[in-house]
Amino acid sequence: MLIFTLRRLSLFIFTMLVLTLLSFSLSFLFPGDSIINISGAINATPAQLIEIEKHYHTESNIFWQYITYLHNIVNGELGISMASQSDIATEVLNLLPATIELSLVALFIAMFVGIPLGFIAAIKHNKTTDNIIVSVSMLGYSIPVFWLGILAILTFSINLGWLPSAGQISLLFEIELITGIQFIDILLSDSPYKWQAFSDATAHIILPACVIAVAPATIFIRLARTSMIEVLETSYIRAANAKGLTFRQMIFRHAIRNALIQIIRHVGLQFANLVTIAMVTEVIFSWPGIGRWLIESIYQRDYTAIQSGLLVLSCFIFIVHILTDFIYAALNPLARGNKYGS
Amino acid sequence: MARDKIYLEEIFPSPFMQLWQVFRKTPSAMAGLSCFIFLIILAVFAPILAPHSPIDGQLDMLLLPPAWHPDGNISYLLGTDELGRDMLSRLMYGTSLTFGLSFIVVITSLIIGVVIGSLSALTTGIKSSFLNHCLDVILSIPSLLLAIIIVAILGPGISNTVWAVVIVLIPQFIHITRYAVKEESRKDYVLASRLDGASPFRILYYSIFPNIVDRVMSQATLAQSAAILDIATLGFLGLGAQIPLPEWGATLANGLDLFYIAPWTVYLPGLAILFAVIVTNLVGEGIRHSLKLRKDK
Amino acid sequence: MNLLDIRNLSIELISENKNILAVDKVSLIMKEGEVRGLVGESGSGKSLLAQAIVGVLNDKWKVHADRFHWRGVDLLRLSIAERKALISRDIAMIFQEPMACLDPTTTIKNQLAEAIDTSSLTGFFWQKQRQRNEAAIKLLHKVGIKKHNACLNSYPHQLTDALCQRVMIAIALARRPILLIADEPTAAMENTNQGQIFRLLASLNQLKNMSILLISHDLENITHWTHKITVMYSGQFVEAGTTEQIFKNPLHPYTKALVDSSPSANIELPAKSRLMALPGTIPILQHLPIGCRLGPRCPRAQQACVQAPTITSFHDHKVSCHYPLIPTKAKRKAIKEVC
Repeated sequence: MLIFTLRRLSLFIFTMLVLTLLSFSLSFLFPGDSIINISGAINATPAQLIEIEKHYHTESNIFWQYITYLHNIVNGELGISMASQSDIATEVLNLLPATIELSLVALFIAMFVGIPLGFIAAIKHNKTTDNIIVSVSMLGYSIPVFWLGILAILTFSINLGWLPSAGQISLLFEIELITGIQFIDILLSDSPYKWQAFSDATAHIILPACVIAVAPATIFIRLARTSMIEVLETSYIRAANAKGLTFRQMIFRHAIRNALIQIIRHVGLQFANLVTIAMVTEVIFSWPGIGRWLIESIYQRDYTAIQSGLLVLSCFIFIVHILTDFIYAALNPLARGNKYGS
Repeated sequence: MARDKIYLEEIFPSPFMQLWQVFRKTPSAMAGLSCFIFLIILAVFAPILAPHSPIDGQLDMLLLPPAWHPDGNISYLLGTDELGRDMLSRLMYGTSLTFGLSFIVVITSLIIGVVIGSLSALTTGIKSSFLNHCLDVILSIPSLLLAIIIVAILGPGISNTVWAVVIVLIPQFIHITRYAVKEESRKDYVLASRLDGASPFRILYYSIFPNIVDRVMSQATLAQSAAILDIATLGFLGLGAQIPLPEWGATLANGLDLFYIAPWTVYLPGLAILFAVIVTNLVGEGIRHSLKLRKDK
Repeated sequence: MNLLDIRNLSIELISENKNILAVDKVSLIMKEGEVRGLVGESGSGKSLLAQAIVGVLNDKWKVHADRFHWRGVDLLRLSIAERKALISRDIAMIFQEPMACLDPTTTIKNQLAEAIDTSSLTGFFWQKQRQRNEAAIKLLHKVGIKKHNACLNSYPHQLTDALCQRVMIAIALARRPILLIADEPTAAMENTNQGQIFRLLASLNQLKNMSILLISHDLENITHWTHKITVMYSGQFVEAGTTEQIFKNPLHPYTKALVDSSPSANIELPAKSRLMALPGTIPILQHLPIGCRLGPRCPRAQQACVQAPTITSFHDHKVSCHYPLIPTKAKRKAIKEVC
């Protein structure tokens, strides 16, 4: 287990280096002066420019510049946004939790809807239920997410009026920003209207989370179905059948665990897909998250913000990926890589 | 005088012909394939088939609803948008942009990705694990994010979008080719070729490639549906095709402002994208299903 | 009373074009306390037969038989659930690759505990747990595993193949079955391990009077351990009799070829001469010959072999052939059995 952790940690550090290298090189690839790109100070006077140049060590060679860049990141200094002239690090820290909240809720919805449906489809393989589930999942996989979001707003917000269509919570509630995750903030605040705020925040999160969850849920359905079909054809299920276990016992005790193991591995990979979809959905639903901020920075050609946003977002995705690797190793004794003798 | 066949010869079709025969028997896959071919014909012959110009609008025919609506006009079958441009022609030209470009994108990235992937699969040791890690890193960055970054570097526009999507799809092909080649080269028939003295390129070309073609093809259909969605999403966000070009995502974004008065300007491009992606997915599913059945036979 | 009485069992594979008869009218009779060998090449349908008896075949196989009795109970008349309940109480089965037949994500302790009959445990929850543990340890001792703690706490991939097979036998013994079906239990093992497993099975048979149906493709290997042997070829019944009758006096050309191809029969061959074997291979399911399926390969085949042969019996030595290899004296004492 220790060796596994060390290997994952080294992979993480390696990835971080490559990602920072990528975002560092972006400042040279973007049009405009590389110093301004990396620091974000558009309106700097020449004197300030000289200051900045010294800060980023532009007179030394590229390698030192890169080291300085890394040094700055570790210190928490990501530069200033060109558009709003405010510190990027604080902006990111305010916006990232909202995206985390939305993505995690969407991930859980996708898992809790997709995986059981996939299992049911596999158990009733080649019968009507299976065909219906597979066709519906193909439809869900093919819908462009922005169109789905717009249709959802039209149906649920405008025509039916059930759910709100924008923002994270109604502006009437004044919840202090403590962690950035709305639900935790509501619970931690001492506003007298806690439960109303809670239900209001839930209403706001349902629609975007469901829209995001559609595509990953269909992928989970497909994964769960393939995995369960494969497990149901193995020798040990046949041996358990011969052992005299009932069908129910077999499924719940043996099949689900083995099928889940194959799926958990893919959850980490799907998360990248999910965050991408979340970015577009945030724009449509005006959700104050890092995806919407990143896309707006791209409209405004705010290169510093793009750099840092890319770094932070990729870092977050990779951390989730590694966490799922750990969970997978915890569940599956075979993946831990130790072999004892008998 | 014709002679009847006395002995029943066993005809053993090649693996590809077997795949095609199984594919032909699946009705959903054949439906998907025919629609796919229909879209390709539409993409290529759009200038000839479209009734009106997609760019010039008739200023007296603004915001006409589709022909089945009482206010609609039959010569503008799917209505017009806010500048009087015919929706049907816009969608047809959009096929060649969104669908046709995605096809070209997939073929380009397939060729580049397969070449790089198979060459890198021949390496072993530290170089190989280094490449593995690099690939893992690149694959962990979401594809849309990477495409957006590349478009931000190069500037908006449809040609830059195409380059961005090509660059984004290449790692997927590299990964799958690498994995497939490594898996095949562990098998005994490759060992037999190697013992015969074949050079690595010869092994790659004659022994391994015919056996990984099906996996690469199924990945290509997945990549194409991703490419269609990516091009449309970039068009929707305003980073892809610019204003007069009738790309489906851009058309959808255009119609967004007038959603209440003219909802068809939003429904129709979305339906077009949905149709194209479903068709691609049907073909892809058909290929994967036939692969599985062929293996079982 | 016969333990297992099967007459003319056929198993059909249902496919779109036509149904293929994978097992064609096989009869099997087992008495209590006997070890019976079921011998045949791979593809002869013996595993299918065993799975049909236990009832683990999936939907694409259809089973019909003239008679299928277990200890006097007619199984064909019961519903599927009743049949399954009856069979799983009295018959146990062990399979070919033991490591693949154990759930890779559960410890041996849990898998063993699952098989133990909960109705035999008494008391409260923790008492039941303790009893279950003790029962598991006892089972492991019965199959000869002394280091029970190490075994119970490990996962299947951490044990060797022979150990896994013993664990499978322990799981099979948990329900105290009357018949144990062993489907090629030692196919992938070295000889020393094979000997261990067979000795274990023989001791179970002698001490607990448990009947065993031993399925194998190696005739010579199992002759030491079995009382009676049934030979199958390509889904058809070929010959059945006591071990000595089959080995010393094979009546069917196929059995003779099997016996002749074993190493001990070939010891006196001169150097550089061909080993005795039948030409050709077992027919594939898509191209099964009509009538006697050995026809195309049999050295004694003639025109009558296009019809499926009936079973003839010489002193309880049954054979299904038109031209069996009988010495002329015995021909006069033949009794024809009408099926």
